[in-house]
Amino acid sequence: MNSLKYIAFSLGLTFFAACDLEQEVVIDLPEYSNQPIVECYLEPGKPFRLTLTRSYSFFDPLGLDSSFFDKTLLNGATVTIAYNGQVDTLYNNPSFDLPPLPIRLYNYTGLNTVPATPGVEYTLGITLPDGGTIGGKTVMLPLVPIDSVLVEWSDTDDTLARVLTYVTDDMTQVNYYRRMLNYSTLDSFPRQNFLVTDRISTSEVFAFGTGYQLTEGDTVINSFFHITKDYYDFYESVQRAVSGNRNPFAQPSPIIGNVQGTANPLGIFTCLVYDRDTTIIQR
Amino acid sequence: MKQSILSPLILLIAFGATAQTTISGRLTDAKTGENLIAATVEAVGLQKGNVSNEYGFYSFSLPSGDDSITLRFSYLGYESSLRRIKPAPGKISLNVALVPTSSVIEEVVIKANVLEDKVKSTEMSVATLSMREAKALPALFGEVDIIKIIQLKPGVTGGTEGSTGIFVRGGGRDQNLIVLDEAVVYNPDHLFGFFSTFNSDAVKDVKLFKGGFPSQYGGRLSSVIDVRMKEGNNQEYDVTGGIGLISSRLTVEGPIQKDKSSFLVSGRRTYADLITRAINKANENTPDYNPIPDYYFYDLNTKVNFTLTEKDRLYLSGYFGRDVFAFSNESFDFLFDWGNATGTARWNHIFGPKLFSNTTFTYSDYRYNISNILDGFSFRLGSNVRDANFKVDFYYQPNNQHTIRFGGNATYHQFTVARLQFGSDDGRVNFQSGQDFTGMEYGLYVADEWAASDRLKFNFGARGSAWANGPAFYANFEPRASANYSLAEDWSVKASYARMNQYVHLLASSGLSLPTDIWYPSTEGVKPETSDQIAIGTSYLFDKKWLITWEGWYKWLYNQVDFIDGAELFGNNNLENELTIGRGYAFSPLELEIEKKEGRLTGWIGYTLAWVRRGDFPVINNGEYYAPPFDPRHNLNIVALYDLSKRWQLTATFSYKSGNAAWLPVGRMSFQDVPGSRVRPVLPIYGDRNTFRYPAYMRLDLGIVYRWKTRRSEQDLTLSIYNALDRRNTFFIYLDPDFTETNVGGQIIETPNKITAKQVSLFPILPSITWNFKF
Repeated sequence: MNSLKYIAFSLGLTFFAACDLEQEVVIDLPEYSNQPIVECYLEPGKPFRLTLTRSYSFFDPLGLDSSFFDKTLLNGATVTIAYNGQVDTLYNNPSFDLPPLPIRLYNYTGLNTVPATPGVEYTLGITLPDGGTIGGKTVMLPLVPIDSVLVEWSDTDDTLARVLTYVTDDMTQVNYYRRMLNYSTLDSFPRQNFLVTDRISTSEVFAFGTGYQLTEGDTVINSFFHITKDYYDFYESVQRAVSGNRNPFAQPSPIIGNVQGTANPLGIFTCLVYDRDTTIIQR
Repeated sequence: MKQSILSPLILLIAFGATAQTTISGRLTDAKTGENLIAATVEAVGLQKGNVSNEYGFYSFSLPSGDDSITLRFSYLGYESSLRRIKPAPGKISLNVALVPTSSVIEEVVIKANVLEDKVKSTEMSVATLSMREAKALPALFGEVDIIKIIQLKPGVTGGTEGSTGIFVRGGGRDQNLIVLDEAVVYNPDHLFGFFSTFNSDAVKDVKLFKGGFPSQYGGRLSSVIDVRMKEGNNQEYDVTGGIGLISSRLTVEGPIQKDKSSFLVSGRRTYADLITRAINKANENTPDYNPIPDYYFYDLNTKVNFTLTEKDRLYLSGYFGRDVFAFSNESFDFLFDWGNATGTARWNHIFGPKLFSNTTFTYSDYRYNISNILDGFSFRLGSNVRDANFKVDFYYQPNNQHTIRFGGNATYHQFTVARLQFGSDDGRVNFQSGQDFTGMEYGLYVADEWAASDRLKFNFGARGSAWANGPAFYANFEPRASANYSLAEDWSVKASYARMNQYVHLLASSGLSLPTDIWYPSTEGVKPETSDQIAIGTSYLFDKKWLITWEGWYKWLYNQVDFIDGAELFGNNNLENELTIGRGYAFSPLELEIEKKEGRLTGWIGYTLAWVRRGDFPVINNGEYYAPPFDPRHNLNIVALYDLSKRWQLTATFSYKSGNAAWLPVGRMSFQDVPGSRVRPVLPIYGDRNTFRYPAYMRLDLGIVYRWKTRRSEQDLTLSIYNALDRRNTFFIYLDPDFTETNVGGQIIETPNKITAKQVSLFPILPSITWNFKF
């Protein structure tokens, strides 16, 4: 369904470009008050880390100088995460994931690492410098492993292969997943990146495939995230917000996060449980 | 109210005190045998007469006498016909065939002027389309489209640029009852709404009701678009058609048995796919060439009719249309097709000069199917709505003061809602979702058009409607009333009230028409939509040529259905969880139309000043009222046709309307996302719905028609210039961050360096030429 919209939209864009049907215009958008933005993924074995930023009015100056981080990062807040009867403080110290890991910035970091125990509940508490509060809850889900990754070669062109990835779902409860597929490295543009739920599944096996487009020596990275409904709704709203801006056939959506408080925040506080498989295409 | 509805019916008992002659019959086209709708018959000098109904049947009564009288039969575009009769007591049956005028510019003396009829009629908020006008007007890609001409009427707003979306007096896109030969057409669009399903060669008559709805209509809140197909020529064989930029049309009609029966077959097909296939073939060996997908649509209209006896006529008609979008490569095979099918079987019976009946069975089907076959896997998605409707209508004219209509219908609905299936050929993987519903819809109505005096006319009516879908049962009473008071021969004031109920709802994911929009029935959780509309107005005929009509109206909308933010339409076994129920209103203090039907210059000017709001949705905009996308404050349309000579005709349409309300992002945030995904330095943040207004829309279309005749044919060339001012109207606006890419340790980091708004337009100036012929 979405593919159809994107195909039609792509054809349309080609037409617009050919006929000079796209032009820059000056518009006034309605008033918007900045909001604090929370992004916190609790990944087993990694430190407690959180990114707290500010949103802007859409046309606010970008600040592409040394002030960028000062303007974007929301520092000076008190951040705690409570779990298993203990409360960890996340200190306002910047930390980074740097290459070869995909680059990520965190401005609040704790001293402990996140335990991998499923079922543990985590509670976020943030007090901003202006007294505004932000809170959120999440739970660590069990890992749902990738069962197998199969390489199949085309009958019509024996230089081309596809990859089929199989996962077994627990049908006794409703589960939500995020599927991601990268070629070569994790920082490449994801070839597949979508949400899936077992609400409509009548079999316990999930299968994900590529087209016959891979050749010998290619690297395929499968990632399969077991996610909460909150994260599912959040990421769905992120995708709709992106497509709603550029695609006239799509219905936009506000960001539907799981953090609340007097500070009127947006964002996501969730655990990040995933299995990842790297396959090099070989005969 | 109860008393006022019944009083005219009670008065019927008193009729017939003096000897009367009742004259009845059918009015037809002498060249084709087609029924003439709303043709006029009058007894000259006696101020008695009537107009034919939608089946060409007329009836009226006169005091009997020994002196002969003259009857004049007339219809716009036809020579008037005079008949002398002696009104002996009893009944006279008189079928009359009128001859079309031979030239488009010949001055036609039409004593029973159609504009005068409009002044005197209790009907208000009604627009009729002349197919002759429609075919002459300039059109996008030269494709004559009756829906796009309806968009030019006051009170009607079109959808986005070039689309057939139609929003009547603040109503939604699904609140229009569109019927083709009385069968419901659920999706009147081709090509994502850029063309309608109606082939102008097969259409005889189009009538739009925006308010003051007659009691025989029900099931939608905001309008009725009643499209009647031609019956087929029962005098001689005709072949008509046209060759245009994107499609061709061909219609064949003729007698099966002269004067008794006829047939019509009409087809239309686009041919862009033939060109794209040739391009794909030529490039099949080009490395990295991406084939252009196949797209085409086609329509087929068929009709036969039989005059069984003097009193019985049988009509069978059908429509079938499909859009097909397909592409395939070595990895997958994708097919998306959608379309309508309708069928109508109609039996007209004349019980006597005063009672006429129409018994109809209709079938409607709209469906879409998407399938994608991959090696070892398949994906299918589809929805379907199907109706079988039985309807009986009676038209009873006891005397000249009363015309009574009554009847009823029962409709069986079947819905397949977003049926999805994805699985592997080996059966290991299987996903399924979707819902099936059935429902019964009932309607019973009675209405009396009562000429209380020479100046005062009423039309009182009521409709009872009901809906049953499992445990959900709803019954509603829908009063209808309208009145006309003639202040002078050429000046009248009017008022109307109508309540409507709608038991089926279109769940649309965007303001644009998509074939995947879903029809959903009323259930226990989704109650029927209801509207109340009041209208007042006045009609003034200036200089016997210019009809000036002003109307003001207010519409209340209840139980309006919309999606919650972030709703999931597909892969969902309970769509109702994604819906929210609210209310709405719309009003206009000024809906103005100036029409001219006669002379070298014809056309109309329509202007509407209106406000439209939706609200009280618990989870949308915190329940506050907001403007839906199609809420133009000002909407001006000018349509002009000018006959230069017998051969040349100039046409023009001009449209101006305030910009649509739009939902644009108000803020932005940085979003890092998880490893494996790309960082989004600018993620749009949406606030309340539709707080932004696009720039105003303005378009001028021009046309030139050149007609000529040979011994065996009539032909024309129609040149259309769409958007002659080459104005860039807004299709949509998006906010476009421009990024700078920086290489950090081998990874590309994007940082925004500029944010702009980009306006996308659809059509520049687009000339097209169409050749039309009739042999």
